[in-house]
Amino acid sequence: MGAPRRRVDRASVLLLVPAALLIVLVMASIAVDMSLVHLRRRQAYDLAAGAANDAVTAAADEGSLRAGGYRVDPDRAQQVVERIVAASDLAPDVAAPPTVRVTGDSVAVEVSLYADYIFAGVIPGTPDGTTVTASASATAAAGP
Amino acid sequence: MRRVLWRRRDFDASAPSARRARRSPIPIQRQVSSDDRGQVGGIEALPFGLLVFVVGALLVANAWAVVDAKLAVDAAARQATRHFVEAEVDGPAGVGGAEDAAVAAGLAALDAHGRDPARATVGLSALDAAGGQAGFSRCARVTFTATYEVPALTFPWIGGFGDGIAVTSSHSELVDPYRSGVPGSAEPCVG
Repeated sequence: MGAPRRRVDRASVLLLVPAALLIVLVMASIAVDMSLVHLRRRQAYDLAAGAANDAVTAAADEGSLRAGGYRVDPDRAQQVVERIVAASDLAPDVAAPPTVRVTGDSVAVEVSLYADYIFAGVIPGTPDGTTVTASASATAAAGP
Repeated sequence: MRRVLWRRRDFDASAPSARRARRSPIPIQRQVSSDDRGQVGGIEALPFGLLVFVVGALLVANAWAVVDAKLAVDAAARQATRHFVEAEVDGPAGVGGAEDAAVAAGLAALDAHGRDPARATVGLSALDAAGGQAGFSRCARVTFTATYEVPALTFPWIGGFGDGIAVTSSHSELVDPYRSGVPGSAEPCVG
């Protein structure tokens, strides 16, 4: 039985510490980028909800109102939603025209926004951002 | 210069030469293992890595502070706008009272997000009435803007220092054209 070999692994430990710190930083930057996507999704939802809420009343069909009913005019609803999205701060980030679906006294709006990454964009070969989509609907109800 | 009698890797305690060496009057110098290859190859990476880590951590913390503040001001602007367009303005407080209540609702939303309302401003930035009407009327577009000052340097758990980035968000909605209690006519809303 020979003498035990003495293993010197100090060099490996020295190099592992900065590598571990770098990994922590990369993970933190991924977390920030993902939270940015979450922020954009919430903004898209807020925009869709506001647009649907406005369209369901501002696009009411007058003839139906005078007859005692309530119906949303699809063309006017589309116009109202497009005006609201264009007037929003998020207009430069809109990825596609908003989709409006009218069903009787309800309006459903779908909005797509482009979300830019902060950190992932600096890595070559990775996408600069992603597209998030949110939808919301509003239904007119008689007041008390 | 001292003479090295034997090298450790060649040492065999049972060998006759080793026994002679132990009895030898000449002092034996063991070769010190001064292998500094690891230090030469990696010790400069430690301070440099620590520096990169500290700077990177501050960068990430500040980016997160801005994203978090943006979430908060989005909610504040939306809350203030919703509060205003649904306000009863035909009461004694009038439009001014409704605006004050909307600003208070926006600041309360910021507070609920864990933000300091003293660093924030919430205000009515536009009230565009439709069809030549003025002020709070049917179909008027109401826009509230919320701004929050994010400190220049944010330390986790410690707080922030310095004047930094102003994070702003605005939200707009229309006053309901057909609900009761709103002055003006709904005719301009058409078209």
